[in-house]
Amino acid sequence: MEFSSSICPPEILCQILVGLSRTTILFIVASGLTLILGVLRIPNIAHGSLYMIGAFIAFSVSKWFGGGATGFWMAVALAPFAVALISLVVERGIFAHLYEREHLMLLLLTFSLALILGDLVKMVWGGEYRTVQLPGSFKGPVPLASLPIPIYNLFLVVIGPVVALGLWLLANKTKIGKISRAAAVDREMVGAVGVNVSWVFAIVFVIGCFLAGMGGALVSPIVNITLGMDHTLIIEAFLIVIIGGLGNVWGALLGALIFGLTQSLGILIWPQFGIVFPYAAVVTVLIFRPTGLLKSTW
Amino acid sequence: MKKGMIIGTGVVLVWFLAASFSFGADTIKVGIIDTYTGPATAYTFDVLDGFKMAVNKVNAKGGVPGKKIEFLTRDEKFKPDIGLAMAKELVLKENVDVLMGTINSATALAVSDFAKKERIPFFVTFSKSDKITGEQGHRYVFQITENTLMAGRAAAFELAKKPFVKYWIAGDDYEYGHAICDGVWTQLKKLKPGVQKLGESWWKVGETDFTPYITAILAAKPDFIIVATGGSGMVNFQKAAKATGLAQKVPFYQHTAIELSTLEPQGLDAPEGVYGTANYLFYYPDTSENKAFVEEFRKTYNRYPKIGALYGYVTGVLIEKGFAKAGKVDKEKFINAVQGMLIDSPVGKLELRACDHQLMLPMFFGVTKKVPQYPFLIASDIVIIPAKDYMPTCEEIKALRK
Amino acid sequence: MNKNVHGKEFWPVLILFILLLILPLFLTRFYIYLLALIFVSGLAAMSLNLVLGYGGIYQFHHAVFYGVGAYGAALTITKLGYSPWIGFLVGPLLAAFLSLVMGAICVRLSKLYFGMLQISLGSLVWAIVYRWYSFTGGDDGIHGVSMPALIGSTKGSYYFALLVTGACLMTMYFIVKSPFGSTLQGIRDNPVRSEAVGVNVRLHQLAALVIAGFFAGVAGVLFVVVDNSAFPDMLFWTLSLEILIMCLLGGWLTFLGPMLGAAIMVALRTFASTFTEYWTLIQGIILMLVIIFLPEGVLGYVNAKFRQFGDVTSGGKA
Repeated sequence: MEFSSSICPPEILCQILVGLSRTTILFIVASGLTLILGVLRIPNIAHGSLYMIGAFIAFSVSKWFGGGATGFWMAVALAPFAVALISLVVERGIFAHLYEREHLMLLLLTFSLALILGDLVKMVWGGEYRTVQLPGSFKGPVPLASLPIPIYNLFLVVIGPVVALGLWLLANKTKIGKISRAAAVDREMVGAVGVNVSWVFAIVFVIGCFLAGMGGALVSPIVNITLGMDHTLIIEAFLIVIIGGLGNVWGALLGALIFGLTQSLGILIWPQFGIVFPYAAVVTVLIFRPTGLLKSTW
Repeated sequence: MKKGMIIGTGVVLVWFLAASFSFGADTIKVGIIDTYTGPATAYTFDVLDGFKMAVNKVNAKGGVPGKKIEFLTRDEKFKPDIGLAMAKELVLKENVDVLMGTINSATALAVSDFAKKERIPFFVTFSKSDKITGEQGHRYVFQITENTLMAGRAAAFELAKKPFVKYWIAGDDYEYGHAICDGVWTQLKKLKPGVQKLGESWWKVGETDFTPYITAILAAKPDFIIVATGGSGMVNFQKAAKATGLAQKVPFYQHTAIELSTLEPQGLDAPEGVYGTANYLFYYPDTSENKAFVEEFRKTYNRYPKIGALYGYVTGVLIEKGFAKAGKVDKEKFINAVQGMLIDSPVGKLELRACDHQLMLPMFFGVTKKVPQYPFLIASDIVIIPAKDYMPTCEEIKALRK
Repeated sequence: MNKNVHGKEFWPVLILFILLLILPLFLTRFYIYLLALIFVSGLAAMSLNLVLGYGGIYQFHHAVFYGVGAYGAALTITKLGYSPWIGFLVGPLLAAFLSLVMGAICVRLSKLYFGMLQISLGSLVWAIVYRWYSFTGGDDGIHGVSMPALIGSTKGSYYFALLVTGACLMTMYFIVKSPFGSTLQGIRDNPVRSEAVGVNVRLHQLAALVIAGFFAGVAGVLFVVVDNSAFPDMLFWTLSLEILIMCLLGGWLTFLGPMLGAAIMVALRTFASTFTEYWTLIQGIILMLVIIFLPEGVLGYVNAKFRQFGDVTSGGKA
C-alpha cells in the first residue's frame, strides 16, 4: 500500500479537471437513462447499446466526410440524431404497446433489445477496432503546471454544463418539458386532461436515446470503438442514476460528479486500489440514502 | 398437463437419440472454440483466417494422408463455462480429433484439463497464461502463442540494457496485468539490480479513460513506465498517451505495443516513441517466406495479417504435418509426431519444444515510429530476441510442474 | 392440504423422475452432460424463484450465491485440501451465510432499490474474488477440482446432480406449501396487510433469502461436480440476469417453470451456436417474443391453456 509521495495543488487541479471530463460523458449518458426511467418507468438496459451505436455511427460519418475536422463535427452532429431515429422506430414498434407491463418485464425487454442490437452492430461493422480522428486543433495536451491535460478533455469539461443547461431549459421552459415532468409523477392525470401520453413517452424516450448517442459520439475520438462497449458503461450509468435519484437529472449530474471525481482523486492518493473508490462511494450513499441523494420521480 | 410434460420429454428424448447419430467421415476434424463476440473479436478472426488459409492449402493438395481437414467453430463469448461446455460438445458429440482455441485464459485452462481427461490434443492459440504450459501443463496441451512469463522476460532483456532506473508499474487489475508486470519486473531486477520501483497503479479491466492515471503517474516523476494492459486497453492507453504527450515526457513499454492490432486502428495518430514487444510484424523480417505469407493473406482477406494470423496459420501447419508424419488419424501417434517438430513459417524455422509443448517463437522488440509508406505506425530499431533467450528452460518447467 | 391434489401431481413427477434415471442408458455422453448442466442451472433458477416468484423480492444478483457456493466447494477441495464431501457442505453454508449478511443489509428496502443495492454489494463480492487471485485464482478460475470416483465420471456426476436436485426440489416444494410459504406469498401480494396481521415481514423475507441462497449454493456445488471448475463469471451480474430470464421464460408463477426455462436456455445456447455465429441475436429475439406474447412464461401459458384440467402444476397459486 503506497501513497503518492507528494500531492500538490496543481496536481490535484489536474486530476479534478480530468475527472470532470469523465463526468461529462457519464452525465450525458446517465441523464438520458434517468429521463427514460423517471418518465416511462423503464430501466433501459439497451442504453449502453445505443451509446455504442452512437460511437460506431460517428466512426462511419467521420469516415464518409474524410476524417479530420469536418468528419469529427459532422459525426458529433449527426450520430445522436441517427440514434434517436433508431430509438423512435423501436419505441413505436415495440415499447409503445407494452407500457402497462410489469417493470421486471420491461427491464427484460430492454435486455433482449440490447442482445439484438449488440449482434446487429457486429453484423454491420464487424469485429475490428475503429477510431474517430480528432480535428487538428483538439489534438495533444495543454500544459498546466507542467502536467498535460488533453485539449479534448477540456472541451468535454465545457460541454458538460452546456448539456446540463440545455436539459434544464428543456425541462422547465418548454411545454413538452413541463408535460413530461407531470407525466413522470402521474401519467393518468396527464392523460385525463387530454394530453396524448403515448406521444409524450415517445418524445422523452427519443430524447433519452439521443443523449446516449451523443455520449457515444463525444467519446468516440478518445476511446477504442469496439464491440462490447455497451457493457462497459451501462452498469456505471445505472449506479449513477440510482445514487442520484431515479428520474432526477440533477441527481444524474451529482452522481456523475461523485463517480468521476472520486475515481480521479482516488487514483492520485491510492493508485493501487483505484478501482475501489467509485464503488465504495456508491455503496456508502446507498446505505445511508437508499432512495438516492436527490428526490426521485417515483 | 403433466401428460404434456411427459409427451414433451418423450419427444425430446427421441430427438436426442436421433441427433446423436453422427456419420463418421474420412476427415481430420478440428474443433475451434474462441470468442467471436465483443472486443476480443478483433484478434480472433485473424486466428481463424490464418488457420483457414493453411487448411485450404492442404486440402487443395488433396489433404493430409488423403484425408481432408475440416473444422468447426464455436463462439464462447468470452465466458469460460460456455467455452468448456462447447469443448465438451465438440469432443463428445462431434468427435473432433483436435481441439483449438481460445483467447480466454480461464477457458484455455478449463479445456486443457478436459483435454487431459479425454486424451485429445489441444492447441492454445491466443491465451497468455503461463500456467498452460507451466505448472498446469501436460502431454495433451500445446501452446502456440507466447505467455506472460515469456513476454516479461523478453522485455526485461532489452530494458536492462537501457539507462532507466526509476520505474512505475501500471496495468489491468487482473491475472494478465499482474503476470506481465511480475514477469518483467522480476527478470529486470535480476539483470539490473539497481532499478527502483516508485509505485504501482492498477485499474479495472476494460478501463477506457486512462488520462487521470497518466496524469497521476506523471506527478510521481518516474524514468520509465511499464504498462501491462491488453486487448482494447492497448489502444485506449495509447490514445490517452498521445493526447497527453506521455511518450515524449516519460517513455513507456507495453507488450504488443508495436503490433498491427494496436497500431492500425489509430492510423497516423498513434503515439511515437512507445516501446513494445510482439511475435509478428508483417513487414519484418523482409524474408521471402514472410512476404509470400503476407501477399497470400492480403489477396484472400484484403487486409494485412495481424499476430493472430500467424498463430492460426502455424497451428494449421502443425496439424497437417503432425498427422502426415503419424500416418493415421490417431491422437497419440499425432502427439508423438508433432512434439519436437520443426516447421517452416513466415518468421523462419520454428520448433514445438518437446519438453513443454511450447512453440519457440522469436520475439521482436522495437519502438513505434511514423513512416511514409504506411497509413499507420510501425516498429523501428527492431531487435530480434531468439526464443531460447527468453523462454523458461526445460528444467524450470519440470520444477513448476511438480 | 388436499391429499387429492398431491396425488394428481405426484404420479407424473415420479414417472418423469424414473425416465430421467434410465435415460443415460440410451444417450451419448454429451447429452448426459447437457442434462446434468440443465439440472444445475435449473436448480439455480428454482432457488431464485423462491424469493422472486413466491416472495416478490427483486433478487437481481442471485448469481453471487451460486458462485460463492461453487468457490466455497472448489477452494475447500483444492486450496485447503479437504475431502470433496466437506467441500459440498462448505459451499451452500457459505452461500447461506453471505445471503444472511447481504439480506440483512438490503431487506429494509423494497423492489427496485433492494435489487440495486444487492447488485452493488454483489459486485463488491465479485471484485474481491476476481482481485484475490493468489487465493481464488482470479480471472483464471479454478480447474481440475478432483471428485470422488463415484461421481467423477459423466454418468456419475449426472446421477449425483439428478438426485441432489430432486431432493432440493422436493424440499422447496414442501417449503412453498408450508405455512411459511403461504405467509411469504401473502407478503408478496400485500405486505401492508401482512404487517397489520402481525407478520414480521422483514424477518420472513430474510429467512426466505437465506434458504434461497443455500439452494443456490447447492447448485454452485453441483456445477463444480459436473464441470470440475469454478469461474469468477459465475458471480457476475450478467449471469444473474440470465438466471432471472430462466425464471421468467419458464414461468415465474409456477413451481417448475424455472427448471423449464433453464432447459430452454441451455438447449438454445448449445444448439443455436452450431448453426449461426449470431446466436445472441436469436436469443434476444426469442426472449422478446416470449415477453411480448407469453408474459407468464412458457409453463404459465401452457398452464392457462390447460386450466380446465385442474391446476396441477401451479404449486404456487395456493
